[in-house]
Amino acid sequence: MLDVAGLNVRYGKSHVIFDLELHVAGGELLALLGRNGAGKTTTLMGIVGLLPGASGRVEVAGRDVSRWPAYRRARSGIAYVPSGARCFPNLTVVENLEIASADGEAGWNRERVFELFPKLEGLRGNLAGGLSGGERQMLAVGRALMSNPKVMLLDEPTEGLAPVVVHSLIELVGQLKQTGVAILLAEQNHQMALRVADRAAFMEKGMIAEQLPAAQARGSEVLNRILGI
Amino acid sequence: MSPGQLLLFAVGGLATAAYLFIVTAGLSLVFGALRIINMAHGSLYMIAAFVTVVVANRLGASFGFWTGLLLAVMLTGVIGAVIEILVLRRIYKEEHLVQLLGTYALSLVAAGAVRLFFGASYRTVRPPDIVSGSLNIGGFRYSGYAVFMIASAVLIAIGVYLLLYRTALGRNIRAAVSDPELLNVSGVNVSRLYTTVFVIGAGLAALGGAIVAPSQAVGASMDTDVLVLAFAISVIGGLGSIVGTAVGALIVGEVISFGLNNQYTNQFAIAFVFIIMAAVLTVRPWGLFGRPEQEL
Repeated sequence: MLDVAGLNVRYGKSHVIFDLELHVAGGELLALLGRNGAGKTTTLMGIVGLLPGASGRVEVAGRDVSRWPAYRRARSGIAYVPSGARCFPNLTVVENLEIASADGEAGWNRERVFELFPKLEGLRGNLAGGLSGGERQMLAVGRALMSNPKVMLLDEPTEGLAPVVVHSLIELVGQLKQTGVAILLAEQNHQMALRVADRAAFMEKGMIAEQLPAAQARGSEVLNRILGI
Repeated sequence: MSPGQLLLFAVGGLATAAYLFIVTAGLSLVFGALRIINMAHGSLYMIAAFVTVVVANRLGASFGFWTGLLLAVMLTGVIGAVIEILVLRRIYKEEHLVQLLGTYALSLVAAGAVRLFFGASYRTVRPPDIVSGSLNIGGFRYSGYAVFMIASAVLIAIGVYLLLYRTALGRNIRAAVSDPELLNVSGVNVSRLYTTVFVIGAGLAALGGAIVAPSQAVGASMDTDVLVLAFAISVIGGLGSIVGTAVGALIVGEVISFGLNNQYTNQFAIAFVFIIMAAVLTVRPWGLFGRPEQEL
């Protein structure tokens, strides 16, 4: 569903992502793991089209979107949930959801997002800026779902959340696979990510150092070597 | 001062506040979404005033004014789109000084073009018949056109509010104010949205210019005259806030009206505006209704 080949990112003269290759099938969850500064966020931003210095091939459901600006890539089926539970703080919960709304096969709409996150329904008229971190993360994921994406890119969705919330959020991300969406999950919290991932890609210094099935990655020496655990 | 006089001056102040609100709302909207202080905003207002006067005097009677107003808004909207696409897009990422110089350069080009096309002399136009009469209340004569200006400003304020809070376009504009990058990855063409916002801002400048034209002499210095007051209003009310713009315009309009109508202060009525502005800057640099600028 998501095929990335030869992705390179340059910031001015410095080359930060090198010939990256990633494939995520529909209904599959690929965990992108690595230390802080390994290039996970830059990789995601390159895929969604936010970096002018990115080159390489990005395909969504077989369609080459490499030359498209970010908004067109989003419409082609990529939903991006940036780190920090980013929402539009001056917009209401409902407006935050509606802004990304697009029709699609998965049939996500406001009602279904509220079924998934009942807490948000009670806050529907509230400004997003006044929500707690966990609520804003739900809203960020809900907004991504409203676009009925083929591919979801999540950047550190558990960062800064209370352990209980982390748990249920990761479980939920695992369940989203069943709707057929391809998920690329960048996480520092490798234990949580590996619980729901099918495969894991380990990043180091802007390169993919290793790709393994998640079952093998749990407790493997790769964790030790690359993540320094 | 008798109560009747008080009311007369207050209505005069409201009429001044009316056109200043329309113009400043455009400036504020553009700043809120695009983070650009448009030094050429007064130029768009001036161009619209000249177009309205020329068209209205050519076609005559009432019909001429309304046609002039419509043409002025359309022409200014087109100029706005061209400016946004050719100039502003290249300077969004630059520092404030470059943006100020860029739009200031545009205002100089516009000033030159206006002198070239319309000459340096002042022009006037009669208000359209339907609003040219006067009302007699308590022995004082109120100009019908002043009432028309106030009504226009109220309608435009409601229109801007409905646009911002009741339409998808307005929701996207408000989203662009807080996080354009997130808006972009949510599937909204932010470049096109910026053009639309600038065209709306230019349209508001044009409406202000067209509406003010029958109430004062239209000349080649009205670009800076209005820009200075619009900045004062923005500073007092808070740049980027529509409510603040309305309150700021009311304060400035009334201060000018009462200042001009008092024999001791009419020489320096405008000075009071800047004294208030300086006071607000000292106590609340982000304005009465604005928010302190923060880095996202």
